[in-house]
Amino acid sequence: MSFIVLIAAGLLVPIFYRSNIFIAKTISFIAFILAMYFIYTHNSLNALFPYFVSDEATRLMEYVLLITLMAVTFSLTGFERPLISQMLFLAGASLALLETNDFFMYIVLFEVIAIISYILVANIRNYYNAEGAIKTFIAGAVASGIILIGFALYSFNTDSFNYVDMNVAGKYTLIAVTIMLAGIFYKLTIVPMHGWAADAYSQINHAAAAILSGVIKSVILVATFKAFYKFMIAYPLASVLIFSFFAIITMTLANFMALWQKRISKILAYSSIAHSGYALIPFAASASLYAYSGVLYYAIAYIFMQTSVFLILNDLRRELGVKYLDDIKGLYKKAPLHSLFFTVQLFSLAGIPLLAGFLSKAVAFYAGVDAGLWVIVLIALLNSALAVGYYVWIIKHIYFDEPREDVERVILISNGSLIGQLILLAGTIYFGIVASNVFDATIQF
Amino acid sequence: MVGLGIIFAPMFGAALVYFLTRNAQHIAKYIALGWFLVLFFISFYWYKHLPSDGSFLYLGEFLKVPQFAFSLTLQIDALSVAMLLLTAALLVLVVFTSWEEKKQAAYFSLLIFFSGPIFGVFMTTNVLWFFMFWELTLVPMLFLVGIWGAENRIYAAIKFFIYTHVFAMFMFVGFYLLFAQTGVWDLLTIKEALLATPALIWWLMFLGFAAKLPVFPFHTWLPDAHVQAPSSISVLLAGVLLKMGAYGLIRFTVELMPVSTLLFAKWMLIFGLITTLYAGFLAIYERHIKKMVAYSSISHMGLVVVAISTMTYDGLSASLYEMIGHALVISPLFLIAGWLHHKTHTWYMDEMGGIMKKAPYVSAIFILAGMAALGLPGTMGFVGELTIIVSAVKAYGWWIAVIAIAGLISAGYIIWAIRRVIHGPMSEKVAKADFSMHFAEKFALSVFAFLIVYFGINPQPIFDLANKAFSFLGGM
Repeated sequence: MSFIVLIAAGLLVPIFYRSNIFIAKTISFIAFILAMYFIYTHNSLNALFPYFVSDEATRLMEYVLLITLMAVTFSLTGFERPLISQMLFLAGASLALLETNDFFMYIVLFEVIAIISYILVANIRNYYNAEGAIKTFIAGAVASGIILIGFALYSFNTDSFNYVDMNVAGKYTLIAVTIMLAGIFYKLTIVPMHGWAADAYSQINHAAAAILSGVIKSVILVATFKAFYKFMIAYPLASVLIFSFFAIITMTLANFMALWQKRISKILAYSSIAHSGYALIPFAASASLYAYSGVLYYAIAYIFMQTSVFLILNDLRRELGVKYLDDIKGLYKKAPLHSLFFTVQLFSLAGIPLLAGFLSKAVAFYAGVDAGLWVIVLIALLNSALAVGYYVWIIKHIYFDEPREDVERVILISNGSLIGQLILLAGTIYFGIVASNVFDATIQF
Repeated sequence: MVGLGIIFAPMFGAALVYFLTRNAQHIAKYIALGWFLVLFFISFYWYKHLPSDGSFLYLGEFLKVPQFAFSLTLQIDALSVAMLLLTAALLVLVVFTSWEEKKQAAYFSLLIFFSGPIFGVFMTTNVLWFFMFWELTLVPMLFLVGIWGAENRIYAAIKFFIYTHVFAMFMFVGFYLLFAQTGVWDLLTIKEALLATPALIWWLMFLGFAAKLPVFPFHTWLPDAHVQAPSSISVLLAGVLLKMGAYGLIRFTVELMPVSTLLFAKWMLIFGLITTLYAGFLAIYERHIKKMVAYSSISHMGLVVVAISTMTYDGLSASLYEMIGHALVISPLFLIAGWLHHKTHTWYMDEMGGIMKKAPYVSAIFILAGMAALGLPGTMGFVGELTIIVSAVKAYGWWIAVIAIAGLISAGYIIWAIRRVIHGPMSEKVAKADFSMHFAEKFALSVFAFLIVYFGINPQPIFDLANKAFSFLGGM
């Protein structure tokens, strides 16, 4: 039901968004609330279609996803309007991807989300946007091809695609899975498949970047863990080697690249890539009881903070033309509320406690320690501590430097943005203090 | 619930205080003062209600996550209460010493925010929450140093933040391994015997605490941060943040892993000795008045590490006494050093001189605190150094009396500093300067002076607390 509501609303909204954005936002708000209600009453996709099951962990991720998309909807204005309906489609497809228990459906829905993401980035206003959109599209197409090769190879080996009944022991399974992962790593922006993301996230419209880097990545993270769990258990050594290797090179390279950047969106893009690296640690530790909690927690925390920082950057760019670090010198005088939200979410990304960024890392990395990979966790922690360098560097520009020119007017935050940011901030703080939801959803005690 | 309130209320209330007082900046300090007095009285109430057998006073358990054995357990013993009282007292005095600070709404909101996590550090026995509060104290300090500091403040603030954050990560891996090998996060239920790799955990944790204390060679952030911070914040950095390191060292090495600590005590001793002597020599070499005080602070913290390394009841009592003594003695020195820079616009002692003639009151307190720092009988410095030397000699034999050299060195730099700054011919910069001081600051300085002498003559209340805190080592 939730799926149908979201898709129907997505079809309805384009009628209104040109003439009256308020009605469009109201419709999508109602659709999100209704979808949450149906998820709550277990009337999600699982009630109507085969191949879908809805467990507690999935439901938690779905609530978080819908709340985040709702917050994004509130803060859109102007030429970002088409995103409203695209987000409804995205929400529907994401619910399906999260709930599916069939590997074939996983591959299909993965492609559906990829197609939605191509439409998201096609909101083109200038050459930069166009370049980012083309890169996203071509990288995505390459990724799809690679995934399909791997999937084709794998499909020779199994009679069932159900997550439980899949045959993971067949010949070439490991090679097939590795090829599929190579494709999926494009979407998760794992080094060395990250090149497109570093450019695209900073070049496309920032609201679309918020969805692409925050929402879509989190959904794919959780869904991929569920889909590949059986493979990871079947090939423990290979999965430890693959995931820890890519985790370490991803976070290290991305953090070092982020230190050199002058463009804020580029710093956030590399920070997003680095976070993909941290998120791979529980994948490497899939033998641990805490691995799924770690992935889920990481996805939940990441969706709130990454979406929030890109949305604020979007506002700042629209109001003040902010592009480079020099543009935000003394920003706290020009835009106090934007600065506050931005700072808190950056601290969360940096992993400062009492914000979701810390507790999610603590749980995700603990899974690594639990699986005996404490050296890799130490490298990851040192990486995340060094990453503080560029987050604090942004904060230094905001609070410690004086503005370049006199402050003429204070930029007030719009009501929509304020509500959206408050929702995301509440999520960041709530999941930074209360860990019980995630653990109740993933570990039966 | 009171315990939970005094940790979380200031963190969420700070933003509220900022937005309420933004247009009436002078009100902020009264709110801060009121809140810190409340903190002091609550701590004092707990002090009065401590169990007499040295066990923990249970304040509640919140935010339980049974699957992860994770919950905010608030329990305090005499050691935590000593730290809480010290923290609350310093916070109250810091309000007075920053009476005329710029941008008061933001400044005092950050101070109020700071009081939350710092109380959390000393109140919780859950290792993960301890770490969370430990890290969170860095955030208000980053802003307080970065916005209100001296000319090189941004460099110092960011260096302080990243340096201590990176070293905390080693500690965090140690904590992870503690949990992985025992299955509990609670300090009081972790048993050392269950640990598979105690040596590894001990060293990882020691690195984190050593950087905070700071112990040579991990001390390089301190001279920058303490010098560039506004003087009131230097007081908190030296008086409270360094104590977090010593507190952690006692809690996590001596109390939690006594067997490994006994094994590595000689390393702690070596680190402590090198720190004391090295920082002392650096202090002699300094012309920069605040750097001199900062090195003297490191040197005293080295003595605390030596005392902790003895692993005896005497040594730990001495270390607790010296922790409190160090906070009370070094604070007026930092305050006066910062104040002199503010008035004379120079950091260098050889450009000062003859301040006694223009500011006798402040000079007198500088001399008193200086004498306490070099260990003059009748002040806290004497009792602290004496008990540390006695306990170290008991534990290691007569040769350890070489740390008395530290006292000699401190006599060297303190007396020379007094000679250059307070006495001597009046320099031009001093002659031009206007040495007026607000009454609130004078009041705070006199309270420090009173406490230095009071606990120097009557150290018993602190040793009573130490007796409760370390009764597991024998006691009296």
